[in-house]
Amino acid sequence: MTELRWTWLIARKDLNLEFRAGGRLLSMIAFVVLAGFLFGFALDKGQVPGRAVVASLTWLTVLFASTAGAGRIFDTEEEDGAFRHVLLTPVSRRAVFLGKTVANLALTWLITALSFIALTSFLGVRTSGSLAAHAAIFLPGTIGLSATATFFGRMSRHSNLGDSLLPVLTFPLLAPLVFFGATASARVFMALPWDEISSLVRLLWAFAIGSVAVGAVLFHHVTDE
Amino acid sequence: MESTRVRTAGLLLVWAGVAAILLMHWMVVFWVPTEAAQGVVQRIFYVHVPGAWTTFLAFGIVALASAAYLWLEDERADAAAVAAAEGGLIFGAIMLISGPLWGRVAWGTYWTWEPRLTLTLLLWFTYLGYFLVRGSVADPRRGKRFAAVVAIVGSLNIPLIHVSVSWFRSLHPGPVVIKPEGPTLHPDMLTTLLVSLAGFTMVFLGLFAFRYSIELAARRQARAEDAALAGGLA
Repeated sequence: MTELRWTWLIARKDLNLEFRAGGRLLSMIAFVVLAGFLFGFALDKGQVPGRAVVASLTWLTVLFASTAGAGRIFDTEEEDGAFRHVLLTPVSRRAVFLGKTVANLALTWLITALSFIALTSFLGVRTSGSLAAHAAIFLPGTIGLSATATFFGRMSRHSNLGDSLLPVLTFPLLAPLVFFGATASARVFMALPWDEISSLVRLLWAFAIGSVAVGAVLFHHVTDE
Repeated sequence: MESTRVRTAGLLLVWAGVAAILLMHWMVVFWVPTEAAQGVVQRIFYVHVPGAWTTFLAFGIVALASAAYLWLEDERADAAAVAAAEGGLIFGAIMLISGPLWGRVAWGTYWTWEPRLTLTLLLWFTYLGYFLVRGSVADPRRGKRFAAVVAIVGSLNIPLIHVSVSWFRSLHPGPVVIKPEGPTLHPDMLTTLLVSLAGFTMVFLGLFAFRYSIELAARRQARAEDAALAGGLA
């Protein structure tokens, strides 16, 4: 069986588990909708126009929601010892990492779409630029985010600091990604030409490819039981 | 015996480094010319730049030693990584404190969210995470491995920090010493900077050697106690 097929099987298994149990997904959805509501409620739109902050708030909401959820992808298997069995199968560690990243990515896309809708609605930002341009920015951004969060999510499972360790490890690494992503999205909201955005998207792709590659190479060091 | 030699060499390096730093302070106060545009405050440069150099040297050593540990599982590599990481955090704090003091006068603000400053602060936090990972994992061997992975991933930030001044619009000054056309610094300023760089590097390497030998001795002691306990139980 090829590496790609193993990756797909792991991802499908995780997504099946996720949609059957539903707890993590529901809490992530509730989180992004409530965050959008609270930002819309708390922001004095007379002083700060929603258009000026919607891109940053969307990226931050996606960052917080996906980081909070990412570590959980190992939880179900960890609790009943199933992850050890996954490691005993002939599936390579690389395929396990890539499969879990793909599963996390699918959930991250869902919460990104929801955050985008919630924040543009609650902040009253009607003209939200080209949707294709927004998607072209969020695609590499969410890949980098999911790969990084999946990698360190595995590490935080073994820490007695639990979920509080994951943000400490991931936020410093993800800060450039959020900066590039939020700046690029803000430029789309301002309807700037693609030429002024493309360099940031290239940086997001570089981050995405780098984080997937580093994660795939080093993942066996965080899974050797 | 070997660790005593390393400790003695470390102490000698620290004293030589302290002497060089004292000389640098004399040069800064009495000898080096005052920079025309910024005035006296530019003299923070002789602490800030060596602090930055030493930080990146330390974190580079952490990354290399961590890679060696993952590859060879040699305790000496992990001990070297811990010793260098502690030095990196200390010299990083010197850099992160001296920079804003200089920036307050030069830019009118202690902190600005420009790329080099931000990435450097994030690098410092990543290596703070290095110690959190080590300390929070119950199995020490696993903790060392996780910390080594954090160190390697964190070190990928170092080249980005180096090129950030030329890649992005940045308030931070560009290089004045390592340039294709040669240093553009006044010769006396360059001499003072080199004395300071030598002093900081020697202090760091001395503390690194000293801390490394203590770390190795502590691990030997812990192993001996474990063996004695196991022998007693048997």
